[in-house]
Amino acid sequence: MQDWFERRAVIAGVGQSAIGRQLERSGFQLTLDAILAAIGDAGLTVDDIDGLAMFPGGGSANLPGYSGANLYEIQDALRLTTSWRQGQVEGMSLPFYGPAQAVATGAARHVVVYRTVKEGSAARNAGGRPAYGSIHAEAAGPLAWLLPVGALSPVCQIAPYAARYMHEYGVTREQLGWIPVTQRAHAARNPDAVYRDPLTLDEYLASRMISSPICLFDCDVPVDGSTAIVVSAADTAPHLRAPIRIEAMAGVIDGRPSWDQWEDMGRVGHATGAAMWERTELRPGDVDVAELYDGFTIEAVWWLEALGFCGTGEAGAFVEGGARIALDGELPLNTWGGQLSGGRLHAAFGHTVEAVRQLRGEAGARQVDGVEVAAVTNVGGYEAGAALLTK
Amino acid sequence: MNSAVGTPPAVTEETAAFWAAAKEGRLVVERCSVCGAESFPPRGMCRTCRARAMVPVEITSRGRVYSLTVNYQRWLPDLDVPYAIVLVEFPDHPGVRVVGRLRGCDPEHATIGMDVDVGFEPGPGGFAVPSFVAVASPHSQRASE
Repeated sequence: MQDWFERRAVIAGVGQSAIGRQLERSGFQLTLDAILAAIGDAGLTVDDIDGLAMFPGGGSANLPGYSGANLYEIQDALRLTTSWRQGQVEGMSLPFYGPAQAVATGAARHVVVYRTVKEGSAARNAGGRPAYGSIHAEAAGPLAWLLPVGALSPVCQIAPYAARYMHEYGVTREQLGWIPVTQRAHAARNPDAVYRDPLTLDEYLASRMISSPICLFDCDVPVDGSTAIVVSAADTAPHLRAPIRIEAMAGVIDGRPSWDQWEDMGRVGHATGAAMWERTELRPGDVDVAELYDGFTIEAVWWLEALGFCGTGEAGAFVEGGARIALDGELPLNTWGGQLSGGRLHAAFGHTVEAVRQLRGEAGARQVDGVEVAAVTNVGGYEAGAALLTK
Repeated sequence: MNSAVGTPPAVTEETAAFWAAAKEGRLVVERCSVCGAESFPPRGMCRTCRARAMVPVEITSRGRVYSLTVNYQRWLPDLDVPYAIVLVEFPDHPGVRVVGRLRGCDPEHATIGMDVDVGFEPGPGGFAVPSFVAVASPHSQRASE
């Protein structure tokens, strides 16, 4: 058995601020709420923290002329496959990946990583969900080929994946709609979820199209809120309240790192899934809950197949009717409602929090019985990260 | 349909030739003068043999829709909707896929696999942007949903 570095790290604590469509508090204060909650949840004090990370990478240069060739475009030009990257907004596509490296190598003992969104308020202030990249006067890097032709949102950029997938495998909206419908039922049991009223398949099918075949209920819901995660060195576990092990994690880019140039849009994230399974003796059948990134319904579909919960092209049949992915099903999916109903906390932060709570038995009315292994994934496509967490 | 609403592209050393040709209604991609492979978007390096000897080559042949979406959401105040966005590949130019708008058919009649001709129309900021033209087909059907 190899000494995978992630085994030397644990997720010590998770914490969240209030979460809502619009909150009248600054992102800064929400962040402090989440961090203090996470540190308390870990059984630590603020003085124990010696590492800090913001994810995805934030900040911007205050001087013009910092060239910064886009990392994905450089990877594309060099035609590389990468299993580690740094410097792109989504980085390794898992919020705890970098912090786990830090504690595994002794660079820090207890790292806080946080993600704060005020997208609910931003949408309200703009009179609607703003166009992607509209904060910039020009579309640079990969967006130069998308925004000028009217692909003005991530919806437009991901919709062709859904169209191609459904075309290749004969999967229908009537099948995939069971993902948002079932997740809404989970959200009804989560007091922190944003949308808790029942959603029927008929309501899903009748909802307005945003960018075909993606309809309103295929899109996650912008919210205000903050999430913090404490990642600690595994040898500090005796001092932690309820640490969760990182069994395996990976994030591989083996295709063109571009939303429009990805070669096979019917098959996404498979290299990341394969790399993750290489690092563990566990198998897909061992997973008790799946917290799979669902910025859009199709992203959860990618992960169901990429992690081997069903075969390629089989996710439609797998989720149809909702029984398999329900809380009492063989693979409970996004047990907190996911981003589709729980709120777009982004970058798998909400998914990680839920995995930790399910593993600890702290998920309240939505607790799944006997959870020992949880899968967590982020994004999909080329920005793909996947992990297995265990007790 | 007003395709000029939106954000113009940033033009770089790598992409200047594409946007200049676009204004003339020509679709230009990169061709490696060492191994002959073609690639898009332009990187100034061959994605097949990694030679840094790329020259512009024009595509005039018919393309085929790899995938598409019809956008219904008014992301910007003056945006006319709906419109189809197509990802087009070229049987005669392996390795090249170009994103553009679609003209010449009802957007809801666009399908994966349909044939399109190269074209451009006025885009944001005075740029000409790819706008493929549907080739009339008696078998066109609604896009898969």
